[in-house]
Amino acid sequence: MTAWAGSLRFTVRVLLVALCLPLGNPWHAVAADHAECTYFGPNRERFLQTGLRAIARPASQWSAATEQVSRLRPKPSAGLRIAAALPDWEKLDTIDRHLFQAMAEAGVRPAAKTDDFEFIRRVTLDLTGRVPTPERLLAFVHDNSPDKRRRLVEELLASEAWVDKWTMFFGDLLKNNARNAQVSRYPEGRNAFYRWIRASLAAAKPYDRMVTELIATTGTNSFEQGEVNWLVGGIVMGSPRTGQDIFDQQAANLAATFLGLAHMDCLLCHDGRRRLNGLSLWGESATRWQAWELASFFSRTNLRAVNAGVPNRVYYAVEDNVRFRTDYPLNTETGNRPPRQPFGSVANVAPKYPFSGRGPRPGENYRVALARELTADIQFARAIVNYIWREFFTIGLVEPPDQFDPARLDPDRPPPEPWHLQPSHPRLLNELAAEFATGGFNLKDLMRKIVNSEAYQLSSRYEGEWNPEWARLYARKLVRRLWAEEIHDAIAQTSGLIPEYRFSDLDARNWAMQFPEPAGFPAARGATTAFLDSFFRGNRDDQERRGDGSVLQALMLMNHPFVVTRCRITGSAQSGSLAARVFSYPDPQLVDALFLTILSRYPTAEERRVAEAALKTGDRRARVEDNQWALYNKVDFIFNH
Amino acid sequence: MSERDRFARYLKRHPHPHRPFYARPAMSRRAFFRLGGAGVTASFLIPPAWTGEVVPWARVETKNTARQVIFILLAGAISQIDTFDFKLVEGVTPREFEPVRTGGVVWPAGLMPKLGERLNRIAIVRSMRAWALQHSGMQTWVQIGRNPSAALGEIAPNIGSIVAAEKEPERLPSQVFPAFLALNAQNAVGPGYLPSSFAPFRVEPTAGGLGYASHPLADGASRFEFRYRLLGELDGALRANSPLGRPAEEFEAYYETAQRLMYNPAVEQAFSFSAEESARFGNSAFGNACLVAAKVLRANQGTRYIQIVFDGWDHHQDIYSTSNNGRLPRMAKVLDDALSALLDELKATGLFEETLLVMTGEFGRTVGPLSPQAGRDHFLQHFVVFAGGGVKGGKIIGATDPTGSITIEPGWSRDRDARIEDVEATIYSALGINWTNVRYDDPFGRGFEYVPRSKDDIYGPIHELWA
Repeated sequence: MTAWAGSLRFTVRVLLVALCLPLGNPWHAVAADHAECTYFGPNRERFLQTGLRAIARPASQWSAATEQVSRLRPKPSAGLRIAAALPDWEKLDTIDRHLFQAMAEAGVRPAAKTDDFEFIRRVTLDLTGRVPTPERLLAFVHDNSPDKRRRLVEELLASEAWVDKWTMFFGDLLKNNARNAQVSRYPEGRNAFYRWIRASLAAAKPYDRMVTELIATTGTNSFEQGEVNWLVGGIVMGSPRTGQDIFDQQAANLAATFLGLAHMDCLLCHDGRRRLNGLSLWGESATRWQAWELASFFSRTNLRAVNAGVPNRVYYAVEDNVRFRTDYPLNTETGNRPPRQPFGSVANVAPKYPFSGRGPRPGENYRVALARELTADIQFARAIVNYIWREFFTIGLVEPPDQFDPARLDPDRPPPEPWHLQPSHPRLLNELAAEFATGGFNLKDLMRKIVNSEAYQLSSRYEGEWNPEWARLYARKLVRRLWAEEIHDAIAQTSGLIPEYRFSDLDARNWAMQFPEPAGFPAARGATTAFLDSFFRGNRDDQERRGDGSVLQALMLMNHPFVVTRCRITGSAQSGSLAARVFSYPDPQLVDALFLTILSRYPTAEERRVAEAALKTGDRRARVEDNQWALYNKVDFIFNH
Repeated sequence: MSERDRFARYLKRHPHPHRPFYARPAMSRRAFFRLGGAGVTASFLIPPAWTGEVVPWARVETKNTARQVIFILLAGAISQIDTFDFKLVEGVTPREFEPVRTGGVVWPAGLMPKLGERLNRIAIVRSMRAWALQHSGMQTWVQIGRNPSAALGEIAPNIGSIVAAEKEPERLPSQVFPAFLALNAQNAVGPGYLPSSFAPFRVEPTAGGLGYASHPLADGASRFEFRYRLLGELDGALRANSPLGRPAEEFEAYYETAQRLMYNPAVEQAFSFSAEESARFGNSAFGNACLVAAKVLRANQGTRYIQIVFDGWDHHQDIYSTSNNGRLPRMAKVLDDALSALLDELKATGLFEETLLVMTGEFGRTVGPLSPQAGRDHFLQHFVVFAGGGVKGGKIIGATDPTGSITIEPGWSRDRDARIEDVEATIYSALGINWTNVRYDDPFGRGFEYVPRSKDDIYGPIHELWA
């Protein structure tokens, strides 16, 4: 963990000395002045957008949203509440040990533990993107065995829905889409990539092997070998003929996606000195040369466009040492980035992984070497652990998750004033990363560890005065708004009216979580697409997925036909809509059934009174539908709490 | 020391325009004197002189001539020397642009004929210079009026949200439209740390009006009324004011706003339009946005800031191509048709004098000959157009050198390039908002300045526009 930091500084010093002595020319003269740079090309910076536009709401806002949502939820029945005593953390697993110790040191009392209703809904949504069926819910609640939560977790991890949700997650992370601002994978390529991600997750492929396949692939058809499509995403327009812009983009994508280092994109244009000051302690002294050394691992690779037989459609074949046969050349003034010119006699940059200082072995394929170095880097494990942590705990240990600062991660070597350590729990992050790496990069193991921890199972409800600064201590569950796909699928499943979406190039499917990409699904234009888009599901290019609310979302949940038509009595009492099935129940059971199905809990006394009173007013059919509609618009439907 | 030298020295001391938050002093001058003086005068016991959370650094004279603002962002960065800072480049500028001398300037009458006839209604600031050349960063910068990666940049509200917050006390109970409307601006910067009632209400204008504003059932209005009341009762006892105050009202605020927009004839009237109205504005998405903006302001339902984004000006390739709808000539025609119609419409409905129109890109494009891809690349020099809201038409503020690459004549009191922060101050001044205001309700508790570095008077409004 500390070795790479030391070797980085050493490398930088060696470079500075080596370059300055023979050339007598400060090597930063290569870097063009950022402000006067005329080489900024279109969309080249899109991977920086997540940082500059601050997707991460400050902890104080997540905290405020949680406070509001938890106040809008009724209190749980007293019998199922468990008092919150600080556990004896010496005996705990990794996550609990660190989090509860930090809370104790800060003098912060954690929230109470979730009751069974809260827990099953939360963990089902977080692991599989679905809400529990009322049958499964009641079976769980009435189960008396002490290990029922762990067994539920196993059941969810083994489900098909788990594969669907995490295929969507990795599709977002790897930015799988049919068309972005620079290049088209076309639907065939996107579908192939989608199938590859899905198959990898279904087969429990270790994460390091997944990434190695993406980086080191020798596939010759992006329409058939899905893994080729990650490299295709690095193609940019306007590159010099000698390929440097594409090598640079591959390196920038690799750093942001697999290392959480979006700042590498900046370094591919200029040194960090004076420009990353205040943003990244590592970046301040990192150099364009180091970024080139990373890009050089891609410098022998060409993605050859092959005519696919259909007009205007190409697939890509990976080839090494065919078109590009030298290391990263310094021979151009054109392209989307500042000039790349030789230093004296040095006209090519040899590949070197910046954090290990090592290059390829003699005769080794560059990308194979890169995958080897990358997956051995602890930062690789940290980045994915943090991304996944964020999905369960709402705020990452490092926020934003693609703005890691490698010089501020080691608690044994804290950075100088006024910098401070970046992660909220540095030792926890490093331990989790180390356990993830030595445990075989098993994603399910990581998730299992997270959801089985006591800290994950804390309630979002907090007794007493809450201070928003405690959000980073994870002293209570921070609510998150459901994804667009989770809302769609929850409404479809609970109403019993499950749509079927047919496509010309994909099998028919029922669930939005099974779409191969968010943009343009289920149809290029259309009402359901507009419904899903209003929840900011992003386009995997320049618009990231967001959890923000909006007036439009309120209009959609109240008035969109997708919601309103599912609050209808259609079909029979045996196999129809939810409203049809419960229609003939006596009022109290009817209200119970609606609440258990849609909100995964029983109604409170007050809610029961209002709902039953409504049933007795006017047309009963209409009132059943109205009650169902109201539950879809309650705040505890749209949030995971 | 001249203003220009003072600014240059400031820039030298702060190579990033604004320092990151941990490098700022932890105590402001005001806090120091308050605490320092407290021991002497026991003024701890006296409540502070101000009652609200908004405190200005200085007493200023705002122009206060406008009620509302239309802000048009030409995203992608329009080429300034082909449009509002026209420079003829021999052998490069297409003959069809037909530059003529009119209204005191050289104007591409072939490219934008209608605006050429309305130059006496608009003012152009040509000494504008951008801070950086990156689309996303600068588009955010333009909308929040400060460096997004500097102190408080992460939670900084859109200028429109500040305007909405400032004008909140003037809102009548009968007014139902959101104060801040964003048309064709899905990626408009949000309200930052301000409550969501000041968030931009994002709409893509369509002829049919505001989508999903009615309940899709037979007898929809009364069914909806029953349902909304039931929802309120089911959640009623639990939807009381949260002790956290404004941040916690977010969820209810969205539903409440949504409900007030439904079955509202004023909404239907303002947001829908006929084919013939759309044709008058040029039958384009941008034209429709200008049309809806004018109708919304006419409805006088509480909207005070409308942001319109006209995207696609990033012409790195084939900038002058006439066979492609996405290149300069065709897009300039769309701009010409829509903006002229908007100016006419505002004039005809009597809103012109009270509506400040601001139009700019996030930066400019290269000057002189074209790039190898027959386009223009990113460039710092650009322009901003002001119209209405008391601004004198037919004014050109500032001048660039014959190539259009640098300012040779700033044209205003601070005697330096105009920056987007100065445009921000101008907008606030026009609306009667003290641009040196600081809000002390930000989550970091360090005070949020409307215009950065107000206490050092680094930026200020371009009052020459009114002269």
